[in-house]
Amino acid sequence: MTGFFDGLPADVLATWVAAILTIVVAGGLLGERRAFGWSQHLLAGLATGFLALLAIREVIVPRLIEPLLADPGSRVDLWVGLGLVGLAAGSPWLPRSLTAFPISVALGSLAAFALGGAIVGTVLPQLATIIARPDAGPAGTVIAVASAVVSALVLTSFLHGGKRGRLIGWAHDTGRWLLIAGLGGWLGYLLFSRLVLLLDRIGFLLGDWMGIGL
Amino acid sequence: MSDRLGLALRAAPIGLVLALGVAWLLPEPAGLSPEPRDGGTAGRVTATLDELDESPVVVVGFDPDVGTYPEMRPVVRTLLAELLERGARIVIVSLTPEGRALLLAELGRLEAAAAPGDATIVDLGFVPGVEAALVSLSRSVAAPNAPADLATRLAASGLGIADLIVVVGGNDVGPRTWVEQALPRVGSPPTIAVAPTTLLPELLPYVESGQLDALIGTPIDGAAYRAAADPDPAGVAADRPVDRLALLVGVIMAIGVLGQAFAGRVVPALRGSRRGERP
Repeated sequence: MTGFFDGLPADVLATWVAAILTIVVAGGLLGERRAFGWSQHLLAGLATGFLALLAIREVIVPRLIEPLLADPGSRVDLWVGLGLVGLAAGSPWLPRSLTAFPISVALGSLAAFALGGAIVGTVLPQLATIIARPDAGPAGTVIAVASAVVSALVLTSFLHGGKRGRLIGWAHDTGRWLLIAGLGGWLGYLLFSRLVLLLDRIGFLLGDWMGIGL
Repeated sequence: MSDRLGLALRAAPIGLVLALGVAWLLPEPAGLSPEPRDGGTAGRVTATLDELDESPVVVVGFDPDVGTYPEMRPVVRTLLAELLERGARIVIVSLTPEGRALLLAELGRLEAAAAPGDATIVDLGFVPGVEAALVSLSRSVAAPNAPADLATRLAASGLGIADLIVVVGGNDVGPRTWVEQALPRVGSPPTIAVAPTTLLPELLPYVESGQLDALIGTPIDGAAYRAAADPDPAGVAADRPVDRLALLVGVIMAIGVLGQAFAGRVVPALRGSRRGERP
């Protein structure tokens, strides 16, 4: 659909708004800062409004207020949760020993979920894949060993402090270079990803907005 | 900085945008169109879908981010259209606000494009908590808007009823989170992941280990899959894919800029070392 040539009025309006904002943001790339700054404020405001709407409509009302209003006595878990939220929200005025509790629970839960999942879902299956490859030929074995060596060297690069022997020092430096090479490779992927985003916007302006090449 | 250099730096972004725009308008050479292969990404996705029973339950985790969604959007639309054409009953959930915003747009588009009349799409909405949410959903899912039989099964077994899991990932929540938190708890059903290119190094080991059955992680993989699937290109799968000629031009320009920056640091250092100067 092209906003220039067909579509419902709402579609036309949406396409024009999107096109103008795209041009404003692209203007930031070319040095036009005032309108670009204004568009950043608009984005922040819209994102905040959307988050608030989402929190109220899809979390607070259906998952907290409605169950509590429907049967206040049976949802002890929600009352406890609400109490912890209240403690966290009142942290500027309440004693630290009280407010530390909900924050500790949140951080501890986060770490437990992440750590447990990483071990069960990533570390053990990946180790099993490296150690026991049912169809591993010579090339597969070499790749698996190389992967293990690279992983060990990069882990060694995180060693800090204390005395290091010559071998550990070499492993530390090699691991650091491998880490930098990995970051460089990831930067390449990131650049590719952003290039696709830029192309998508150019395609939107030329195709959807101006109707060229359709 | 000289005036000439300053002018060149200011003009460079305009030149980049103009070059990409011209490349976008030119017809795409035939050599840039990827051919679907049996063992390739497209083949893996199709093979995974072919193994499903009739009217399978497909759980879709939808958490892309605005910054990377354009490179996945054509694939996501094609995949959703193919699932609907195969009669899948789709249960879809978002764990991030950004994913929820993009999902609402996609659901609106599906509705406007007239998805098949008997299509079942159960929207579980936004579930906060990411890892904790996935653990909770693995046990039980409240889906009051779902058809009665599906709602009963979801309440009893959670995501465990999935015949297939499709994860559309982004930078915050992606296939890794699902592999770590959900799959071990629901019996590891077949899983297809669609992710941005930046996540490729992180996700390829999961494909190697068999934890992901198929991964579409680059626009080229996506183009190959779209060429193989091609369901109803004028309907619910309609989209403008990434122009591969413009992409190629952009990559060549990026390599040129990086090479110039690298040479700008290395060449003076080499000249200095020849003259005996310390760097």
